[in-house]
Amino acid sequence: MRYQIVLSKMTGWTLRCLIPVVCFTVSLMSQEGDQAKAPVSPSVVHATAILGFEGISNNTNGELSVQGDNLVFKPAGGPITRITIGSIQGVFLTQEDKEVGGTPLALGRAATPFGGGRAIGLFAHKKYDFLTLEYLDSNGGFHGAVCQLNKGQGQALGSELEAKSVHVSGLKDDAQRLETKNEAK
Amino acid sequence: MKLSRGTSWKAVTAAIAIGLSALTVPVFAGGNRPGVAQWSVVVNQVDAGGLGVAPEFQVAIYENLLDELVKTKQFSTVLRSGDRAANDASALLVLKTTVESYTPGSETKRAVTTVAGATKLKVRSQLCTRDGQVVLERVVDGNVRFFGGNLRATHNLARNVAKAIKQSPLPEPAPSVHGE
Repeated sequence: MRYQIVLSKMTGWTLRCLIPVVCFTVSLMSQEGDQAKAPVSPSVVHATAILGFEGISNNTNGELSVQGDNLVFKPAGGPITRITIGSIQGVFLTQEDKEVGGTPLALGRAATPFGGGRAIGLFAHKKYDFLTLEYLDSNGGFHGAVCQLNKGQGQALGSELEAKSVHVSGLKDDAQRLETKNEAK
Repeated sequence: MKLSRGTSWKAVTAAIAIGLSALTVPVFAGGNRPGVAQWSVVVNQVDAGGLGVAPEFQVAIYENLLDELVKTKQFSTVLRSGDRAANDASALLVLKTTVESYTPGSETKRAVTTVAGATKLKVRSQLCTRDGQVVLERVVDGNVRFFGGNLRATHNLARNVAKAIKQSPLPEPAPSVHGE
């Protein structure tokens, strides 16, 4: 009887220890999966419209691309938004850390005992590029839009817009630093 | 004293009707309050105040302010900065927003420590008339301390600004303002 109790206690402890490890592994796998799925072509990039795109609700996933004289955001479902490149006043590129896994992982972290959730939080994050657009509508009204892209894609899209005479600022220094590092190697 | 079933039923119905009318009257009256929904407002771009506020924060504050001001239904029209329709607006207020303090936070720090990594924003909001007279001035803040992304601070800030405007009485628009 005592052996059974000890055994069940040990199983409980093992499970408690394993849950954070499993959550951590899953989060790492999801990060790797995302990186592997990043589109190769710079012209069409997977993006999340955080806010400011007319007719598109906040945090909508879709594809952002430069098509002719337009910057096009094509959501997974629903109407396409086109912004005339000539109306864009400026583009800003930044990079920021964000948590991955959304609400399910947040709940998992909260439920993990012995502070395991904090340990998961330490690793369950990823760097994203943020593309901020400032443009004018046909009536002269100022608009702002923020897009979240996978790391590295912001600069690619920024360069494409820069080639079309759009003023792009930010992130370039990082790219230049990388170039100089590569040259040094 | 006993009431018949029919009489009590009528009394209950009447009581419900009176209660409903009492509930609905203030709702409609609120929509026709003098001074409310007569002004139009144009939201100016956010002045970062040289504090190095990230561009996505400036844009997010601006866009969230527009959304939240529309939700308050305090203004007949909410216009964007530079909108040519502002020239035709009869009674126009200009909302100027200047960032007074900005503490960039970290989502990771918040997740790991709970107490550190808060994103904090404090702005000075001014509602001015066309001729620059300040009608309303408030210092409002918006923070993210525990859950959510850093940009949620801008949403909280915009909501607080809209709330402050809604709670403050606005003056009656002067008839001479039209056509200036």
